[in-house]
Amino acid sequence: MTQSNVGKLKHLWNSVWDVFHFFFPLVRRARKSKVFYFISFLPVILAGIFKFSQIFTGHPRFEGIYIFSNMIMGFYLQFLILILALFYGTSVCSEELEGKTLTYLTTRPVPKSAIILGKYAAYTTLIALMVVFGLVFAFLILNVDDLLNFSLYKILFRNMAVLVLGLICYTAFFTMIGTFLKRSIMFGLIFSFGWENVIQYFPGSTQRFAIAHYLKSLLPTAQAHEGFAFLLFRLEPTPPALAVLILFLITAGFLILACVIFSWQEYILQD
Amino acid sequence: MTIKEKGYTHWDGEFLNKKLSWLPITRYGIKLTFRKKFFKLLFFLALTPAVLFLAGIYVAERLEDFQFMIREGEMPDFLNINPAYFKAYFTNDYILFMMVMILVFCGAGLISDDLKFNSLQLYFSRPITKRDYFLGKASVIVFFLFFVTLLPGLVFILMKLLFAASFEFLSTYPLLPFSVIGYSFLVTIFFAFYGLFLSSVNKNRRYVAILIFGLYIFSDILYGIFFGIFRNEYFALLSIKENLKQAGAFLFAQKLPHDIPWFLSFVIIAGFCILGAYVLKKKIRGVEVVK
Amino acid sequence: MKPVIEVQNLSRWYGNVLGLSDVTLQIEPGITGLLGPNGAGKSTFLRLITGQLKPNIGSVWISGQKVRNNYAMFQDLGVCPEQDSFYDELSGWQFLTGLLRLYHLSESEILAKARKALDIVELTPDKDRVIRSYSRGMRQRLKVAQAIAHEPEILILDEPLNGLDPLSRRKIIRLIKSYKEEGKTIVVSSHVLPEIEAMTKRIILIHQGKIFAQGDIHYIRDLIESHPHIISIKCSRPRELVSKFIQHDFVLKVNFIPDDDSLLVETNNRDKFFGLLPSLFVENNIEVFEVTSPDDNLQAVFDYLIGQ
Repeated sequence: MTQSNVGKLKHLWNSVWDVFHFFFPLVRRARKSKVFYFISFLPVILAGIFKFSQIFTGHPRFEGIYIFSNMIMGFYLQFLILILALFYGTSVCSEELEGKTLTYLTTRPVPKSAIILGKYAAYTTLIALMVVFGLVFAFLILNVDDLLNFSLYKILFRNMAVLVLGLICYTAFFTMIGTFLKRSIMFGLIFSFGWENVIQYFPGSTQRFAIAHYLKSLLPTAQAHEGFAFLLFRLEPTPPALAVLILFLITAGFLILACVIFSWQEYILQD
Repeated sequence: MTIKEKGYTHWDGEFLNKKLSWLPITRYGIKLTFRKKFFKLLFFLALTPAVLFLAGIYVAERLEDFQFMIREGEMPDFLNINPAYFKAYFTNDYILFMMVMILVFCGAGLISDDLKFNSLQLYFSRPITKRDYFLGKASVIVFFLFFVTLLPGLVFILMKLLFAASFEFLSTYPLLPFSVIGYSFLVTIFFAFYGLFLSSVNKNRRYVAILIFGLYIFSDILYGIFFGIFRNEYFALLSIKENLKQAGAFLFAQKLPHDIPWFLSFVIIAGFCILGAYVLKKKIRGVEVVK
Repeated sequence: MKPVIEVQNLSRWYGNVLGLSDVTLQIEPGITGLLGPNGAGKSTFLRLITGQLKPNIGSVWISGQKVRNNYAMFQDLGVCPEQDSFYDELSGWQFLTGLLRLYHLSESEILAKARKALDIVELTPDKDRVIRSYSRGMRQRLKVAQAIAHEPEILILDEPLNGLDPLSRRKIIRLIKSYKEEGKTIVVSSHVLPEIEAMTKRIILIHQGKIFAQGDIHYIRDLIESHPHIISIKCSRPRELVSKFIQHDFVLKVNFIPDDDSLLVETNNRDKFFGLLPSLFVENNIEVFEVTSPDDNLQAVFDYLIGQ
């Protein structure tokens, strides 16, 4: 790598950090984030309800880890990470256009790709924190009587890693969509609750066209015995290492594409 | 009066009670929705089940032409044209999903855009009341949802009568048209309140779109989780979809999908509408010019 | 003097609507006023020279560098956009320091520059209030502050005086003029002639996407002065007022509108006419209801200039 390329990379990194530094506090305090804080915290409330009912009925119908696994499959994978990634991912570009604030960013000495990457990093960090906090608290409440069982923590960290990976990948995809589609939310809803929901159950290689396939490949196979077992229907898992690699490649691909589109696309802020 | 003596004055006159003053708001809303990219495709997709069910009515009536499709000359259950057939159309997951998608398209920006561009003052500087404003906005949603509920339902009945060339169907099921009208109104009015309520919550249309869709899905997931753990049918009351299905089954006099009293779903639906109306009233009042 | 901004054959269409057509010009250090009615192409021109838009034809250079996707250029360029849009949930201080952070400055430099910019636009007492609660004038001043905070050599200001009260307007004008003294290059757009006139003598007249005239403001002023103006007056005793008007040679013609108690006066010296008017009203105790100038806008001047 030549000296000038190193310099450019260093400048890009500094710019990404500066953009992150500007947007992270902004999005953390934003009013729109409050609803998502609440939704992300709901599993904790649910966990509390389950635990209380277990205590009061005296005979637990299910173990805490079973309920936790069902929450991961039903609430987090099928709903929360999709909704969070969709809203915040498309916001990276769309909110600047809708709010007509793009000029403030594109008239600064930072590469356009740094704007995308910095905002993406800020938003992904926030939603990852939302998910992780909710998840950890829900886990602790559900397994309050078995907290010294360290094998359970392995399950927690594995699930947490899968969800964060999911957020990273989906947010990258929706960031890319937001850079060129005006109706990115509509497309995102159809993708998240249409394409992803259908393709992942297709047999053979077809299911590999869904991001959800790689995320499910990383989950412990014994995760859903009852209840949400249908979510693992027809899953032909990809080896974990390969699944992680593919998820990272998809993320990098979408982010590069988002940066290229954002740099060349012309955005007209209409009055 | 000279210029220096003039100031801001409030108009204390009476509004002319003009009928249908909400209609221009509706007309404009419908026009704007049709202008949106992909809406026509979505609308077409939402109408496809109606075409399929209509084809089913035709096949059921002209069974002799379709013998090759039927085993041992028996009429398959799903081709029995009765209230269950209508219920199957009205309460299937796809139709409800498409109604929410239509709502996302046509309902998300109805009030949120007005809030964003401060255009409420423009509306209320004309001789229209708050009621006209709501009616005009709600009618946009009603217009599109009637296309997938009331209209197909009535067309099914009409076509059944035409294909059979007799009124026997109506004499067998005299309450069916009322069921169709009743359920269509119920689901449409519910979604109108649901859409307008969420549209008034935020100025950002994208955010509202997520709320409209997210709340619908979330309520169902919540039901799934609770039911999965506690195996109690009453948790179906948490789900918008299940409440509408329950109400639909009752109105079409079919077996209820959940073993819980039918009226509870009506209470939930009515409660949501009342809450929506209350929030709307509060939200819109906030930007009126106060004397 | 060496031009700072050079534009060659610049053209831009929005679909089949012409935004800017074949503009070639050079802008030197100092203040250059871009004057034109609404929709003339001023904002399109400014967005093109700041790289916000891609030209369909032509090219732009700032300090000898190509503009589009040249982010390094913005180290020395400040832009005040036309839109009244902000990150509304931030305070003025957070907004300014956040944007200054994008210049890769040290924390102390950021704070010092933000303080200085807020002082200049006199927003320091309100710096901790959220922008949502700012008045239109304060928002406009904050927009100017973010353009000047990093002390750029070139300033592009799109309608910076919009929505400002006369006092703030005067302050911003003084500020812009002070930048000229420092040898900086400022391009400022407006559709109000006196605003531009108060800042600079060097103007570019733009209309329908074309440059109509360029140069000293006196030339344009003379053209406008020789163009007769029509003023409509609605008052209690119009005939009495006419008898006073006809004594002055700058009043060319008077028309009565009998049903309306009003008259249309044609003058070739607008300034003298408006100087005279208040004293005539007071001395003769005439009650005045309305004074309007139907053609007192830039569009009328342009119509005149292009011979419509």
